[in-house]
Amino acid sequence: MDPSPDDSQESVETPPLGQRLFDNMYLLLALGLLVMFVIFTAWGMWEILSMPKSTLP
Amino acid sequence: MTATSFPAAYRNCPVTARRINLQAERLIRVNAVVSVVALLVGAIAALLLVLTRWQAVHLLPAVWYYRILGVHGMNMLIFFIIFFEMAVLWFAGTVLLNARPAAPRYGWFNFGLMLVGSLLVEAMQWSGRADVLYTSYPPLKAHPLFYLGVILFAVGALGVVGQFFATLTIAKREKTYIGSMPLVVYGAMTAAIIAVITLVHGAMVYIPTFLWSVGLIKGVDPQIYRLLWWALGHSAQQINVAAMVAIWYMLGALTVGAVVLNEKVSRSAFVLYILFISMASAHHLLVDPGFGSAWKIVNTSYFMYMAVLASMVHGFTVPAGMELGMRLRGYTDGLFGWLRRAPWGDPGFSSLILSVVVFGFFGGITGVTLGTEQINIIAHNTLRIPGHFHATVVSGTAVAFMGATYYLLPLIFQRKVAFWKLAKLQPYMFAGGMLLVETGMTFAGSFGVPRRHWDISFSQAPFDVPFNPVVDLFLAMIGIGGIIAVTGALSFILIAVKSVFFGERITEFPQGVDVVGVPQGLTRPPVHATNADEINAELHAPGHGKWGPTPGTVVLVGVFLLAFMLYYFTNWKLLSFLWKIG
Repeated sequence: MDPSPDDSQESVETPPLGQRLFDNMYLLLALGLLVMFVIFTAWGMWEILSMPKSTLP
Repeated sequence: MTATSFPAAYRNCPVTARRINLQAERLIRVNAVVSVVALLVGAIAALLLVLTRWQAVHLLPAVWYYRILGVHGMNMLIFFIIFFEMAVLWFAGTVLLNARPAAPRYGWFNFGLMLVGSLLVEAMQWSGRADVLYTSYPPLKAHPLFYLGVILFAVGALGVVGQFFATLTIAKREKTYIGSMPLVVYGAMTAAIIAVITLVHGAMVYIPTFLWSVGLIKGVDPQIYRLLWWALGHSAQQINVAAMVAIWYMLGALTVGAVVLNEKVSRSAFVLYILFISMASAHHLLVDPGFGSAWKIVNTSYFMYMAVLASMVHGFTVPAGMELGMRLRGYTDGLFGWLRRAPWGDPGFSSLILSVVVFGFFGGITGVTLGTEQINIIAHNTLRIPGHFHATVVSGTAVAFMGATYYLLPLIFQRKVAFWKLAKLQPYMFAGGMLLVETGMTFAGSFGVPRRHWDISFSQAPFDVPFNPVVDLFLAMIGIGGIIAVTGALSFILIAVKSVFFGERITEFPQGVDVVGVPQGLTRPPVHATNADEINAELHAPGHGKWGPTPGTVVLVGVFLLAFMLYYFTNWKLLSFLWKIG
């Protein structure tokens, strides 16, 4: 079925949610920083800092 | 507004009819020129290094070998690449979006910071006050000006990234484009986001190290340094990957009329890069004792594979887009007719195809294999590692950047490409030489030859470290390949310098004819056939064939996957020789 003029107008004005999320560069920037800092940086720091100190012989 | 009524701050591109902001254009030019200067320094350093690792020549004394190794790393991995990426950001943000740059004067300030920073680093390295290699691991300590130089460079680069985001915001607000931003700009945005992740970690590691070097703090924990530094050092190369893929899409459209098969799929792959690719930094820490297996495996073998998936998506969509584009132009014969009829004499196209193939087959396959925690134990700190990253950063990114330059010279610098015959040959020479280097490194590394090592003969050591004699062949391969590749790099620099400063000016692009010094995509734009809709419908018809509208690419991808499996499982077999089980 061909879209009515109203439908096409609506689709121009409001892109799908996924497209809006992908187009939001500040959201992507925040998510990119968050994932890296939590999984790599913070977890890695915690691993190092929580290591027990070795005792000297 | 008519095309001729733009204010004087703009000019019209005669090929694309886009308006080009003159201030942005100047920033593109200066960043590209400095990038090429850094490439020159790095290439000379490369020649000295390969002639030292080639045991039969063994050119440099030990001190100079390590000094030049540091110079090579900083110039190639940081200055050449990042100055070029700054040019890409200015190009993508303003030219591709028909937009005005945000605060261009601030752009000059940031360029100045980067330039001063890089000159400080060069001065410290060449004078022997920063013999700490590219990684500068503590407790090795360089002169404070070295760290200050890196910080200034990073602050300037971060400033340009901020300006890029501001430019995109302006473009959206002023409606210079409709809907989502073009895919090439989306790739550049991905590179910019990864750059922020990278540079924030750079600040976290280099500011304390600078304070330590001037005596304001007592020390820097070497393990924490390694963690944070690799979030800078490896992620910096992921900026390259995103920028390179963006250039693949651009060159595909310019040279053969490539189409984007599916915007959602390509953009999803870029988003996967944003979320997961920086974690590949953990590859360098796989044999470090401070981290548990969970951290290592999650970072390198779970989440990181999302980024590998993204690369494999681009590795399919880029050539498939080229194939479909060529078929829509009427080159429909057989599986590979589109490839045979491609413009192999166009340095933009040859760079593109060489970059895609070597990055995927060599860089990608070795990268995933080396990034597996178990296999890493037999490869860590061997020449296999530089074998891998030369395939990604040099054969992948640098070759793509060179290909883009052949189009930017006429479009942005408004000059014909000088030494046109040499330019046609240059991508093959450079990529061919690098392939020899990478193969030599990978095989030498497989026999245990260490990376960053001045003399594997251990001639004055109190102990004997025998290597299989075949490694001499592979080290010679590195030397010979290096000479060819450096000749290719110097040819590129010669072409770029002659074109920019002494080249023939070109402001009009006659259509339908071949012009010496102008890539064919600019004078014979790859337009689709008049019956492209018919061809497209036929290619997508249910009965067309089991491999869809791009069967040639499907076959090539099948070959890639077979090579991937073979290399991956061969490495597990090699590992089993080391770890006797049962």
